[in-house]
Amino acid sequence: MAESKKADGNQKRLPRRNFLAGGGAAIAAGALSVYSPKEAEAASVSYPASTGYIVYDSRLCLGCQSCMFACSMTHEGEANPSLSRIQIIRDAPSFTKYPYDIVMSVCRQCVSPLCVQNCPTGACHVDEANGNVRRIDQSKCIGCKSCINACPQRPHRTIWDPVKNKSTKCDLCADAPFWSKKGGPAGSQACVETCAVKALKLVKETPSQTDVSGYDVNLAPPPKASPKMAPKPPAKKEGA
Amino acid sequence: MAYGYAGKILKLDLTKKEISSIPTEKYADYGGGVGMGAAIFWDLAVEPGDWDLQDAFDPRNVISLMSGPLAATGVPGGGRTSVSAIAPETFPTPLFHRTSFGGRFATMLKLAGWDGVVVQGKSARPVWINIVNDKVTIEDAKELWGLNTYETQGRILSMVGERTRFGEEWHPIGDTYTTMRPQIVCIGPVGESMTRVAALIHGSGVSARTGGFGGVFGSKNLKAISVIGTGSIRVADPKAIVDTRIEHARNSSRAAPMGGGIPASCMPCVNADRTRGSYYGGESMCADQFWFMGDQMKGADVAMRWGICTWATKFGGAMENKVPNAPALFKGRVPMEPGMGWYIKYLYELGVLGPGKKIDSHPLPMDQWGQLSFREAFCDAIARKIGIGADLAEGTLEAAKKWGRLEEDLNSGALRFPAYGASWHHSLPGVDWAYSYIFMSGDPMWHGFMGVGGGGGFGGPATYTAEQLVEMMAAKTVPFTGDPLMFSNCWKGEEARKTGIYSAHKAKMVAWARRYSGFYNESMSICEMMLPNFMGRSASGISGPSPDLEYRYYTAVMGNKHSFADTIEAGRKIWNMERAIRVMAGRDRDKEQFTPFMYMPGATFMSLGAKPIYVDGKWSFEDQADLYLDKAGVEEFKTHFYRLEGWGEKTGWPTRKTLEGLGMKKVADTMAAKGRLGA
Repeated sequence: MAESKKADGNQKRLPRRNFLAGGGAAIAAGALSVYSPKEAEAASVSYPASTGYIVYDSRLCLGCQSCMFACSMTHEGEANPSLSRIQIIRDAPSFTKYPYDIVMSVCRQCVSPLCVQNCPTGACHVDEANGNVRRIDQSKCIGCKSCINACPQRPHRTIWDPVKNKSTKCDLCADAPFWSKKGGPAGSQACVETCAVKALKLVKETPSQTDVSGYDVNLAPPPKASPKMAPKPPAKKEGA
Repeated sequence: MAYGYAGKILKLDLTKKEISSIPTEKYADYGGGVGMGAAIFWDLAVEPGDWDLQDAFDPRNVISLMSGPLAATGVPGGGRTSVSAIAPETFPTPLFHRTSFGGRFATMLKLAGWDGVVVQGKSARPVWINIVNDKVTIEDAKELWGLNTYETQGRILSMVGERTRFGEEWHPIGDTYTTMRPQIVCIGPVGESMTRVAALIHGSGVSARTGGFGGVFGSKNLKAISVIGTGSIRVADPKAIVDTRIEHARNSSRAAPMGGGIPASCMPCVNADRTRGSYYGGESMCADQFWFMGDQMKGADVAMRWGICTWATKFGGAMENKVPNAPALFKGRVPMEPGMGWYIKYLYELGVLGPGKKIDSHPLPMDQWGQLSFREAFCDAIARKIGIGADLAEGTLEAAKKWGRLEEDLNSGALRFPAYGASWHHSLPGVDWAYSYIFMSGDPMWHGFMGVGGGGGFGGPATYTAEQLVEMMAAKTVPFTGDPLMFSNCWKGEEARKTGIYSAHKAKMVAWARRYSGFYNESMSICEMMLPNFMGRSASGISGPSPDLEYRYYTAVMGNKHSFADTIEAGRKIWNMERAIRVMAGRDRDKEQFTPFMYMPGATFMSLGAKPIYVDGKWSFEDQADLYLDKAGVEEFKTHFYRLEGWGEKTGWPTRKTLEGLGMKKVADTMAAKGRLGA
């Protein structure tokens, strides 16, 4: 719940220091974000911004998790939500009322990526050949989980693969061996394409990094004007 | 293990407290879902021969909750859970029945490494089952017994893996992680007390309704099954699944009454959550619609919490159908969904049911019939079997029988239950639906052929001719291709017997429906509200994507070399396994009968568009709101159908030749030993 501004009416106000100027350390979602020296260090390192970002609409999402299956299928060739780079978390059974019942956990391709900054081997890197998407080179990953521990989001967007003992993360489908289309920031993404209600979208402009509102945006199509849209007649009495 | 399967089925004997597994491969010929459930039921409940299969609450009853191989693969609608067992809800005796529910239980079960759960025996005290990947435990349910279904699920969630607020963290399970929550199926108080109208409830609005399987859980002292898993399902062609799915989404044209048709799936399910929309095919649409109409949609919450079957206890609704020549009882109009709730109101208005009346309504506040307070009292009375609740707990027809009204109200049409105590639902004018009622154990719940009519089956003018329609359909229905007459719904005169609804042609349509749905919907567990989709609405023609689309999904997951015809033949095998169980439990030709109202004007359910008919050598569309059946015609049809299926014409029992031709020699031997093989 901490991730979504829309979804958390009790979100704690962040200390002003978390909204660092100068590229804005990617400290988004309130309650669990704790200022650390790492963040200050990250803020001082400059990385070229990704040329693509996935934004989403947590009010539009139906929680079907199609995107999760598409992600693991196209990247791993098997269906496993735990290996999906995007996590759609439903309070199912739905005891929490709309719109607080779904948390969309999508990698933000942070402007100041702590996962990249903290990787000791360079496995987690900015891929300049693929629109600067932040991704993990599996051949260099030593499974130290530094990127997971460094991710300021909750739940963390870097993913642990317990079979390979390596980390992985969203690459905007730049390297999705089971994806028929061209991926990466200049291409298309399996999760976006699979979403039945278009609650995910790839954008080129860097979303605001200060909180979640840059990513959790209104993607609902404008209502269609219809001559049939007249006031409803009074409901008939049940059982009549 | 083959692609698409987790590889093993969890088997629980609650009497012995034994937890074991069955290799899924043993039942691979039956696909999954109901097919596997039926085959397992045969092996565990029929084959031993120590039980007459008459009592649904007998500890020897075996209840299966099965997934299909398409679950947990991202195939849209492929994640339904099929449930089968001897069902307490059917009338006049419990019958082998199957139903299913959506949501995400089956998917999570597979991610935990299990293709299904089979439960037999009876625990000495209340228990719940906790499945965390490979680790399965039988837990004490003392603290859960008596709680409603929401409380039960909430309590289990707090016990299984929840150490932070949902959505905040990855949770470790062994050396794996998940952000997901356990998926739970459970019963409420209506199931605990072994009523015959109890559902299995999953989440806030999903239920396995027909059959009364909540009572079977109750009889086993089984309160709930919870599962969470972090594993993988291997598929043959991941690219093809994702590509097909995207193509499907773009080209979907399912003729859904409320403009639906977006293919997602049961985990994924586009109808995922009551809080995010309740509509046709959705988690709770039917509960909402038939338990409470209009602005009282909270009625579904009442039903879900108590765990009552909203289908068996339907209150009817505001919707009525104008039916030509309907019985005087209905004054030319019949209510949309009359069930138990509607029936007691009918008797109340008749003056025979009420406080102090011949049928004492205590403790029901009949003057509050239309209100939430009444629905709460209704569930409470049934759950605790207080006053009239004790009668209603046995089901509508049993209650009517006890009150001495069964014959009169069946004959007047007030009790609209076409067969085996299953309530009225699309049973006519599409006779494939009606016939399935008597050959199965009630409502087939299969809308596949509903759209095959003028205007896509849901009203509106047809933009195609009846001849174009039936020719298109005749090319799809392998192995009965080339016989468009199977789609003629002519119901009058000699033509009805020659080429219409009582003919050998119509037998092919019914057989195909059962084989297709038995394989793709009930065993591959694809949501039948999504596929099949026969009718297209694109500029390119009237042909929809079925059955090619579902076959593409099947091959992409399974990677085998089966042809589409092979899958329909597998459906025939599943159909015959169900048949064999029913025959061993006492089914024969004489028992396959409709109740009287199906032979009366007004028998037709809501008429959704015109049906194609063939009369005097010509095809046309006909509005059939006034269709009803002819008893002699139905008997003729039964003979045609048994002949087509390779069942004895006098008994309706499968012959040895039929069973052995399907690789079911062992089944034939068991049936022969009991003198139940057809000739």
